[in-house]
Amino acid sequence: MRILGWFKYRSPFGMTFMFQRITGLILLFYLCLHLAYLTSLQEKELYEFFTSITVSKQFFIFDSLLILCGVFHGLNGLRIIIHELGFAHEHRRVVLIITGLLAVVAWLYGSYIMFLAIGD
Amino acid sequence: MKFKIKRFNEKNGSYWQTFEVPVRTAMTVLDGLFYIRENLDNSLAFRASCRMGICGSCAVKINGKPRLACETQLSKFKEVKIEPLDNFAVIKDLVTEFEGFFAKHKKVKPYLINPKISYENPVEQIQTPKQLKAYYDFTLCIKCGACYSVCPAGATLESYLGPAALASAYRFNADSRDHGKEERLKIVSQPNGVWRCHSAMECSEVCPKQIEPAKAIQLLRRATLR
Amino acid sequence: MRGFEPLAWVLQAITGIAMVFLITVHFFATHSAHDLLSYESAVERLKSFDYKLFYALLLIVVSFHAFNGLRAVILDTEGGMKRKRLVNVSIAMLAILAIAYGLFLLMRF
Repeated sequence: MRILGWFKYRSPFGMTFMFQRITGLILLFYLCLHLAYLTSLQEKELYEFFTSITVSKQFFIFDSLLILCGVFHGLNGLRIIIHELGFAHEHRRVVLIITGLLAVVAWLYGSYIMFLAIGD
Repeated sequence: MKFKIKRFNEKNGSYWQTFEVPVRTAMTVLDGLFYIRENLDNSLAFRASCRMGICGSCAVKINGKPRLACETQLSKFKEVKIEPLDNFAVIKDLVTEFEGFFAKHKKVKPYLINPKISYENPVEQIQTPKQLKAYYDFTLCIKCGACYSVCPAGATLESYLGPAALASAYRFNADSRDHGKEERLKIVSQPNGVWRCHSAMECSEVCPKQIEPAKAIQLLRRATLR
Repeated sequence: MRGFEPLAWVLQAITGIAMVFLITVHFFATHSAHDLLSYESAVERLKSFDYKLFYALLLIVVSFHAFNGLRAVILDTEGGMKRKRLVNVSIAMLAILAIAYGLFLLMRF
């Protein structure tokens, strides 16, 4: 399949393109899931049944992965916007490293906040 | 040194073949290919012409990355794996179909459009060094196809104009002597033009002349907004 | 401007930047303390006018960005580019559906 042409590059920039595409599709899927989930808000019992599953330590791994997807997609998106406006092409390696570091910090911080909020 | 070459012909299809090539100091990958053709297998097909990085004929994938065979020193590697460029149809062995690539290049009108230029009464077209600098880097493109072979959009959409053609369009749009900017912007702002670039930056990474086609595409994209 | 493509690109960038802020706010509004996800506080948020406005904005921005992104992915393929009109129309319908459904849920409170 030629679609695999999107996912075969080995320069770090090609890798981020690939992950941007994958995380984008994951987040689109999550958006649909999220809207469907919120349907339960119309009934208290249903909503509380759902949150009893999703707001839990067992479920935290998915939340954390979702934060990783979101944070990466967002920060890498900002990086792409900078380049697509025609700036900093010569410094793209530095920009990429800074983006990566920021993404890791934001991911750990977001996961930490979320983990604290789960409670017992 | 071992030369592992991905070969292709219509009869046998695609297969790998390994050759043992004696290496001298300062030998390039292209020298190795010539050695194979002259001494080991005269059916090996590859393109080459100037052997000094000017003509852009000998771009092939060497150890996973597109490079000019004539400018790649063998001393860099323990073993070389040579494949034809991706995103191009293979004709034979390392020779790929470039017809479409050049057709796209022609599509963006890669020449000066200026009604004032007359060959009967030539006048000097004066430019300041600053005006020259605005486009000079992009004149260095040798149309080797390395950028197009790694472009993700080029992998799935054959009609995408591709980094080389778009960089060429920018080269003429940034030229102070040119008056065809609108015509060219109309061509590159089609859905199969600049909008298919998603800044994977692979083209700029592999360009043997370091001309940054990705940057040219973004500047072109910016110009289409006006 | 030349057709829809430049506009789509600019809006994709603007909504992208906006989302970095909007989703950060959304994240802290729902995940910075345990009780924020209880039914009572969720309904309380949805009943307040400010939050309603915020959610409506977030919904529109996210839906545009997500479905326009999907459109770009599909148009990158041979099959998608051949059926450009069909892709554009069906993606627009999906986005409108998502926005309409989200707004419908918002209206219930």
